[in-house]
Amino acid sequence: MVVPNDQLIEDVKQLIIQRLKLMDMTPEMIETDAPLFGEGLGLDSIDALELVLGLEKEFGVIIPDAEVGKKVFQSVRTIAQYVCESRGAT
Amino acid sequence: MTPSKGKIAFCFPGQLQDRPILEGNHPLKGDPHLEELLKRASRQTQFNFHNFSFEGEKKNEEEKKDFSLKLQISTYLLSMAHFYRLRATGWVPDIFAEHSMGIYAALAASEAIDFEEGLFITEGIGRLLKKEGELHPGGMASIIGLPLEEIQKICRDLNGFHLFIANYNGSMHFVLSGEEEGIGKAISLALSRKAISASKLPFRTALHSPSLYALREKIIEILQEIKIQPLKVPILNHWTIKPLRREEVKDFLSREIGRPVYWVRCVEKLLQEGFTQFIEVGQEAILTKLIRWIDREAEAFSAGDLLANKGLVSR
Repeated sequence: MVVPNDQLIEDVKQLIIQRLKLMDMTPEMIETDAPLFGEGLGLDSIDALELVLGLEKEFGVIIPDAEVGKKVFQSVRTIAQYVCESRGAT
Repeated sequence: MTPSKGKIAFCFPGQLQDRPILEGNHPLKGDPHLEELLKRASRQTQFNFHNFSFEGEKKNEEEKKDFSLKLQISTYLLSMAHFYRLRATGWVPDIFAEHSMGIYAALAASEAIDFEEGLFITEGIGRLLKKEGELHPGGMASIIGLPLEEIQKICRDLNGFHLFIANYNGSMHFVLSGEEEGIGKAISLALSRKAISASKLPFRTALHSPSLYALREKIIEILQEIKIQPLKVPILNHWTIKPLRREEVKDFLSREIGRPVYWVRCVEKLLQEGFTQFIEVGQEAILTKLIRWIDREAEAFSAGDLLANKGLVSR
């Protein structure tokens, strides 16, 4: 399994804050392994679409469908892992 | 948020999808306006809104049957409570926009009807829809991540199920309405065609589809005794993209559940007209996110968020 570095984790948190305009939040307030949807950060499917576009624009990675999205959008860490895997980096 | 030199649109959302929960430090918890509205609504409708909305009541079978109806009324009550709070803290809207059943609160906030009349209409139409759902079960699905052409193709491919686009919410966000079985098939098809999300909404009727057009006469009956007053704040009609005229209100109400919601068109018109601030008059941030999707630079906020952050409230 790829292990994303701290900088990438931070960048993913920044992406979430900026794309979703969570202006009252800082990266420190988002737990790396907490669920993003439902009980966790409380994101919804409209937010998911924003994140899909954000990931494509900022990191050049594509979420091709809902099945992949469901796996990738579990937490900040799973997003960062997917970015690493898609880039072929470790 | 800094005071804007631009114009302000208050946006009234459609029905909540789940029971409202105002717990912890929610800014409306203990709000005297809301308490008063809940009392009035409980008296007029015979439902106990105090328990429904804000305490951990367990729903019994009888209450489950009225769940959607209660959600419709709760949406109305929360919009009115947020509207009064916004007004009390100095926010002055230049126009109202509304999505689906948000029209009832928009009309009451514009003083075209009074609070009790809005409640009466919300409950009356809600009961009609409940009955319709029992007689002709239908459903709705929210599909996110596919463009209009793909959505149209899904409707064509499932031609026998009378599927219609009920909401044009964004360039990649649509709601379909139609026969219950067809809705399930549309969700599967959308996911197989790479939608980011496709899910069933908690409606038992094919809202905003032509199948509900038959309820028009019954809605006109509900509205018979109500006298529409001049609108103190204009409401943008999302079909004509012009302010709804006083004499059009009853006709609009009688038709709107059988016609689509053109939300994108509505927001684009407001942006063209120089509106820079959009405040969602409700507890959640559904329209807020749709507006940001249409224009990422637009200043869109939900009243819930504004009121929760006192620093943003006074103008």
